[in-house]
Amino acid sequence: MIFVARPKESNYPLMNNRPRAGALLLLPGLLLIVFGFAVPSAVMLFSPPGVTPSDVFVRLGEMLSDPYDLGIIGRTLGLGLVVTALCIVLAFPIACLLARSTSRWAGIWLALAVFPLLLSNVVRTFGWLVILGSNGFAGRLITGLGFADEAPQLLYTPLAVVLGLVQLFLPLAVVACYSAVAQVDAGLDDAARGLGASRLRTLWSVVVPLSLPGVVVAATLVFAGSITAYTTPYLLGGSSQRMLATQLFSYSSVTVNWAAASATALVMTVLVFLVSGLSSAVARAKGRVQ
Amino acid sequence: MKARPIAAALAVLGYVVMLVPILFVVGGAFTAGSTLKFPPEGFSVRWFGEAVANESFSQALTSSLLLAVVSTALALAVGVPVALALHRGHIPGRSLLEGLFLSPLVIPELVIGLALYQQLMIGLKQTSFLALLVGHTVLLMPYAVRVTGASLALADQSLEEAARGLGSSPWHAFRTVTLPLLRPGVMSAGLLGFITSFNNVPLSLLLQSRDFGTLPVTMLDYIQQSYDPVIAAMSTLILAGTVVIAVIAERTVGFTKIFGGIN
Repeated sequence: MIFVARPKESNYPLMNNRPRAGALLLLPGLLLIVFGFAVPSAVMLFSPPGVTPSDVFVRLGEMLSDPYDLGIIGRTLGLGLVVTALCIVLAFPIACLLARSTSRWAGIWLALAVFPLLLSNVVRTFGWLVILGSNGFAGRLITGLGFADEAPQLLYTPLAVVLGLVQLFLPLAVVACYSAVAQVDAGLDDAARGLGASRLRTLWSVVVPLSLPGVVVAATLVFAGSITAYTTPYLLGGSSQRMLATQLFSYSSVTVNWAAASATALVMTVLVFLVSGLSSAVARAKGRVQ
Repeated sequence: MKARPIAAALAVLGYVVMLVPILFVVGGAFTAGSTLKFPPEGFSVRWFGEAVANESFSQALTSSLLLAVVSTALALAVGVPVALALHRGHIPGRSLLEGLFLSPLVIPELVIGLALYQQLMIGLKQTSFLALLVGHTVLLMPYAVRVTGASLALADQSLEEAARGLGSSPWHAFRTVTLPLLRPGVMSAGLLGFITSFNNVPLSLLLQSRDFGTLPVTMLDYIQQSYDPVIAAMSTLILAGTVVIAVIAERTVGFTKIFGGIN
């Protein structure tokens, strides 16, 4: 630069040598986040109206020893793991095919995978009601093909919840896996192939290890989303497949038991924190490698 | 074992799971019969007429649009200055602050909803609209801060310094250099925010009242009582609206860039 020496301090026009201007820009946002989110959430988790923190922790203790509540936690974690595994198994091949494709259709296929992210969860989940509901398409297909005389119960089963959640989170997994695979240099694939590795070997020894951190991030996003999702377990699981989110809603609005609601919310929040902690640990490890 | 056919088979299965249920909804909406069935019994658009004529749906649609527009505008009005301060100011504890502004992404939405229900609606006796507005704005803040921040982080700060060095006033440099740099970020955050608010269920579920109900929650309640083709028709109309948003996104910043974060 000839005309101006780059100053050491920020020379940002609106806050030139005026750190107070920066504070002023932050203030409305800080007020909103602190009083519209952080304080209410902390109060709700530990001491909701009319309930002491010790009540919440007593209820939390009961929850962690009660078979019914433990069943809900177990179902939430179990279904979350199954959904995560299925999403990665389906998303990774899509990501590889799209990221390595030279076809002009690849952009359209990518857009088709992203589009459901914009569409209401209610609309997306409703499709499964048409398919799995009583007198639905799947039931009539099963009886029509002679697999069974009577259509089996498909709705309100773990299968229904898994299908709904996989549909819900697969686009997210595709997007995250796509970014992970796309940043692996395609020249490395060519080098491996040129040196005689099979496609599978190239995939396993080059693409998978190099995109793994991104795939782990995808998995944590899907898992955290699955264990907190409300609409899909509500519509497809009903009361026979209670998960933490539907149980939390029932405690807050149906039975109005705020100690139990806080204890359930604590379990959910701690689980999400653990999972996102894992994600950022992976991201940090990735930073060290590169 | 060949890798390609297996990958292709899994990819096809993935697309079937993602997209086919949506086709069933659209198919079901055009039935002439009175129950939701696929394949539909005959062809008719009468359920679209019923969906449009349904007063609770049209009221809820107005409420949802109002809430989405106002909360997106608020989140941008509060979030863009935050992004400016974080990326252009010298703020101590920058990464900690940024983490605070992104934290609504980590806390489950039902938890935020219940917290605002207890504190704002029961504790401070505020209206459901105010509680929804606070909740939705908080929910959209991370997008406003992160997405506009990303476009600031990409832009070279020396552009602004050059404008200043060439004698431009601070306000003039902001208006002619920084603001145009921000535009794609604001556009992206605006569209993301609108979609996120419009589709939200967990927050609205706990905060809405009889006077102010959002469309997704109203549809959810309706499905619980009966699932006739009206819901399929309403869903198809929402799908059409969503396609319009996608086209706007593609024409401005780029569809996969905004909603997938893919460049």
